[in-house]
Amino acid sequence: MLRRFSHQAWLNFKGANAAFSFEEFTLLRLLYPLVTLTFYVLLAAYSFNAENLTHWVVGNSFLLCVNVSLFTLGQGFDSERIDGRLRSIIVAPENKLVAVLQKAAFPMLVSVITVFAGFIVSSLIFSVPFYEINLWLFMVVVIVSMFAASGLGLLLAALSLMTDSMHLILNTMNYVLMIFCGANFPIAQMPAWAGVLSQALPLTRGIEAANMLFTQNNPAAFAGLIFGEFVIGAIFFLLAFLAIKYAERTAIRRASLELF
Amino acid sequence: MQFLRVIWDTLRLQMKNSFVRPMFRFCLIINPVANTILIYEMFRNSGHDNFGTFVILGAGLMALWGCICFSSAGDINRERWSGTLSMIYTAPAGFQVIILGKILGNTLLSLLTLLISFVTARVLYGAFFYLPSPFLTLFSLFCAVVCFIVFSTLIAYLLTLSRKTTLYMNLIEIPIVLLCGFVIPISFLPPWIHPLSYILPPTWAVRLLRLSIQQTGNAEFFATLAILTLITALYGAASLLLYKVIDKQIRKSATLEVF
Repeated sequence: MLRRFSHQAWLNFKGANAAFSFEEFTLLRLLYPLVTLTFYVLLAAYSFNAENLTHWVVGNSFLLCVNVSLFTLGQGFDSERIDGRLRSIIVAPENKLVAVLQKAAFPMLVSVITVFAGFIVSSLIFSVPFYEINLWLFMVVVIVSMFAASGLGLLLAALSLMTDSMHLILNTMNYVLMIFCGANFPIAQMPAWAGVLSQALPLTRGIEAANMLFTQNNPAAFAGLIFGEFVIGAIFFLLAFLAIKYAERTAIRRASLELF
Repeated sequence: MQFLRVIWDTLRLQMKNSFVRPMFRFCLIINPVANTILIYEMFRNSGHDNFGTFVILGAGLMALWGCICFSSAGDINRERWSGTLSMIYTAPAGFQVIILGKILGNTLLSLLTLLISFVTARVLYGAFFYLPSPFLTLFSLFCAVVCFIVFSTLIAYLLTLSRKTTLYMNLIEIPIVLLCGFVIPISFLPPWIHPLSYILPPTWAVRLLRLSIQQTGNAEFFATLAILTLITALYGAASLLLYKVIDKQIRKSATLEVF
């Protein structure tokens, strides 16, 4: 069971990235995210006139996960449709939650590596004292946050069974995360509804917890944030599962499963 | 006359084709709104003078560049996927004229991003767009549009050589925004990056637009205009040269429609 799960998870990941050569994979997954991170941190340094850039390095490192968690994962079912594999997945006598988790496993792992590597490299560039914090705890925050972000990615992936505007939806969600997660400016300066939306999104609590490692020692609040992030992730995975079931039924009723 | 008709028809068709694509609609409508909110929130406590104008222009230009990246730059590849590349390549009207019409259509439609950025800042934040010399700003905008058209033509031709257009389209968006000073002045970047910024035409177009708003001396404005004209002409010449090279290579190796 576990072997089949890992085999399928690997095949899913390999299929999504097989079109890229090593150089292209490096450009897209490492260099480009790093340039994007540098851009937003520099923008923060200029706009806030800040010397200590820790908050923005942490926040934008976490946002690096969107490349994989949002864009790769979010287009998962769309690419299955294009490749003609969607029908087999839907009619297979397998729990759809397993199919969902298979798709998320390796992207989650790549996201964790990207965020962690992005954080270390950008910390070196912008002189953030990353060696002063407990990196194991930071890793825990990253893992839980990537779990939550992958949940959101999968929920969006389920939408691709119902709409053909995935580029629009995924790019919009990318901006929603950039604006409402508190990575680039304090959410408190926005209206109250923005605070509510912010709390319903993945990464918000993760970014806050990671920043807490630099600013204060409050284990109870830290654990609360991690737990909250995990719950948000679990809710998104559950919603993704329900959305896939709903999309499956709708598609079968309308015979539109493989329509573009 | 026929040249203008081809340009006009291609331009109209391109606007319609671009607008039906969800990704272009994102670049045209959602991107400027989101950019304006993000950048305005980052700058609202910055203490910069006339920052509303700076944000509107920066966010609008970022979105304009996004539209160019995800449309003009990939148009030749899109024609290839649609199976129409060989037809427009061999059409009596001329491939270069058709490409010019397409890029012109995209760029003119993309100018809406500046308006959307302004409306967003005005409605959400009550921000003002203060123009000390509207005529000078309009003239600068015209120069910027010409520059963007020439620059995107070169990129479109370059991407014709590649079969990984989507990848490169994604890769050039943020680096150009960063290098050309769309929202962060080049002087804020490390000095070793400056030469790279100076050889890119959008750097001078953005600088000209900013100078038209900042009410600096005429000498600096006209010096920037002269550099922009020169560098745009050089890129235009490079585009023509590149087209000839690509044309020769395509005819020799018969790879126009190879994926």
